[in-house]
Amino acid sequence: MDTRVVEFVSALRSSGVRVSLAESADSLRAIEAVGVWDRQTFKNALKATLIKEPADVPTFEQLFPMFFGSEGAQMQQPQGLSKEQQQQLQDAINQLKQQLREMMRMLANGERPTKEQLEQFARQAGVMSQMRNSRTGMNQQMREWLTERMLREMGLTPEQLKEALEALLKQLKMQGMNGQGREEVQETVEQNAEGMREQVSRFVGQNMLQQPDDNPHRRRMDDLMNRPLASLTDAEMDELRNHVRRLVARLRSRAALRMRHAKEGDFDVKATIRYNQRYGGVPIELKYKRHHLKPKLTVIVDVSTSMRPVAEFMLRMVYEMQDQVSKARSFAFIDDIRDISLTFVEHRPEEAVPIVLHELPPGHYNTDLGNSLNTFCHDYLDTVDRRTTVIFVGDGRNNYNDPRPDLVTTLKSHARRVIWMNPEPPHMWGQGDSDMATYAPLCDAVHQVATLQQLADAIDDLFQRR
Amino acid sequence: MFNQVSEVTDALCGQQYIASDEISTTVFLAEKMGKPVLAEGPAGVGKTELAKAWAGATDRELIRLQCYEGLDESKALYEWEYSKQMLYTQLLRDKISEVMGQARTLSEAADRLANEENVFFSMRFLLPRPLLRALMSDKPTVLLIDEIDRADAEFEAFLLEILSDFQVSVPELGTMKARVQPMVVLTSNNTRELSEALKRRALYLYIDYPTPESELNIVKMRVPNVSHTVARQCVEVVQRLRQLDLKKSPSVAETVDWAKALVAINAKHLDEKTLNDTLAVILKHESDIQRARRALSGGSRTREVGLR
Repeated sequence: MDTRVVEFVSALRSSGVRVSLAESADSLRAIEAVGVWDRQTFKNALKATLIKEPADVPTFEQLFPMFFGSEGAQMQQPQGLSKEQQQQLQDAINQLKQQLREMMRMLANGERPTKEQLEQFARQAGVMSQMRNSRTGMNQQMREWLTERMLREMGLTPEQLKEALEALLKQLKMQGMNGQGREEVQETVEQNAEGMREQVSRFVGQNMLQQPDDNPHRRRMDDLMNRPLASLTDAEMDELRNHVRRLVARLRSRAALRMRHAKEGDFDVKATIRYNQRYGGVPIELKYKRHHLKPKLTVIVDVSTSMRPVAEFMLRMVYEMQDQVSKARSFAFIDDIRDISLTFVEHRPEEAVPIVLHELPPGHYNTDLGNSLNTFCHDYLDTVDRRTTVIFVGDGRNNYNDPRPDLVTTLKSHARRVIWMNPEPPHMWGQGDSDMATYAPLCDAVHQVATLQQLADAIDDLFQRR
Repeated sequence: MFNQVSEVTDALCGQQYIASDEISTTVFLAEKMGKPVLAEGPAGVGKTELAKAWAGATDRELIRLQCYEGLDESKALYEWEYSKQMLYTQLLRDKISEVMGQARTLSEAADRLANEENVFFSMRFLLPRPLLRALMSDKPTVLLIDEIDRADAEFEAFLLEILSDFQVSVPELGTMKARVQPMVVLTSNNTRELSEALKRRALYLYIDYPTPESELNIVKMRVPNVSHTVARQCVEVVQRLRQLDLKKSPSVAETVDWAKALVAINAKHLDEKTLNDTLAVILKHESDIQRARRALSGGSRTREVGLR
């Protein structure tokens, strides 16, 4: 049983579940504690010790029956045959052609192929190496295909079986077995063939799964994190959106941690002396300096076509981190600026983002930051004060409109910091209609944010203590 | 001590807690292997309740540590009572000068002071917080560390040490080892990923919303005087609401509350009016209520159409 569990663990690993050595040792101890007589309890014990992520449960459910399933349908011997009929059956099998004989003997007598025999068949079918080297982990199509090839080699595909069975029945008829006996033989053989097919399929599955493979899923996630957002497919975007929540949670706890350390801050001598005058100067209660660290954010986002994916993730992350921000206002622009904060107040971020993108449809607008800035300074300058960090998210491509760098300077004089996040690499700045080269020197920091990883780093940077 | 998984189920049932096979097996294993249980799942499925029932079933004392952002060792483990120490030094001033007064040299005075030092760093001034209380308790305990995902990663790392060795060191007093190893239940609403290290040390239990049958059982057990019809209708509606995309899905606790409310207003069955009046018991956001009303009335309309 122990080896079986160890095999199972290695199959889990190759399907992308992380199982440590300690955990697999735990699973053995757990089995010792609960015993193996109750399959459900046994399964739960393995699950509690090996699976630590809800996402891994389906993999577990898929693999478990493959390793600890009942051994397929029971192989049976034909019942209700007289001794004489039994003898007739064996004779008939011996009369069959060489290649059919072996298989039919097993099927008719209800024998199960051993592991060695199965391996032998696999080698003959030439699928052994493919099984062992499949780097894909558990791939259903691949498995079906390999199973099919093995069955063909064994003579177990439905067509082959039908043919062989016909030959056997004909032989039996010639030897004078009655109709009932023949029916009995046919039924048994068909049932056993079904069971054997299942066994072969499981054999293939198990072999495919025991391949060492470092975690494909996690590797993929890292990969996605580092791919330019603009080049992702819809499905990949969905995957990333799910990932954002976790990422934000991590950023949030880091930000909170910093905040806490900062809050503990320095010992405040003056306040302590002042406060403890009431105790005759004995320092009964200690006072520490407190900081107001939660940043105030004003986000100005370009939502023109080229910027949409970045803008979406940016807004999503900023609003998921609401509780670490004392106040966040956001504005979107294409040709003119628009206050979108209210949408985020009324809706959850995952709803608000599509609404905003829907309300400002992409089209043949002239992206015009200069004009947008003008409106902003005119109408919304009061949202920016000494504690506010202003974040521009955009590629700085203004369609040759006036960039109005003077307005950025005005903003900077009002704000604590001005940060620019641009998805384009630095060497593109200032080329064509890009005014980035003009804006860049005016900002306190410029981040390139083409991938989610870069975006996460940039946002993390926002919450650094300055 | 349990000898069989089914005994766990029965014992928990005795505490009015209906445990699935998975839950009982995990609890059984935790008892056998002495490992902490990490229970994850949506809010209000009875993770905290499990710890209470466990404590009740095994006659252990329940010690609860509620986690929150910024929770630190001094709030979770122990704290020196600074002001008390200060107060004592002030009040004992005369005594101190008396002890010190006889000293002739400076070094002698320092020695005498050193001899008395441990007066101020003794258990008298130590304020044990839940973790230390669980370790020092003479009676067996169940330690519930609630909503660990709300605490910072740093605190999680600190917990690891305690969970693997069941001992802590207080620099001034030395290492303290658990007298009776507590059974530990950690709960998490999965708002953030917990560290691999913590998961590795714990038995993992994912508790999801219960199936309609077991939820019906829970309602009947918790609200004994509810009629079968009302209980069944409650559970049906709640199960349907969970399918909707709501800000906050109704929890099991809320189903129970709702059934209680319906008993209180003496409802014989759940008609449209009663439903509309009492929906606020299970849904806590106005937008959710609106959405649920639309979905539920829409559902009944299509059913009627289907009947015609």
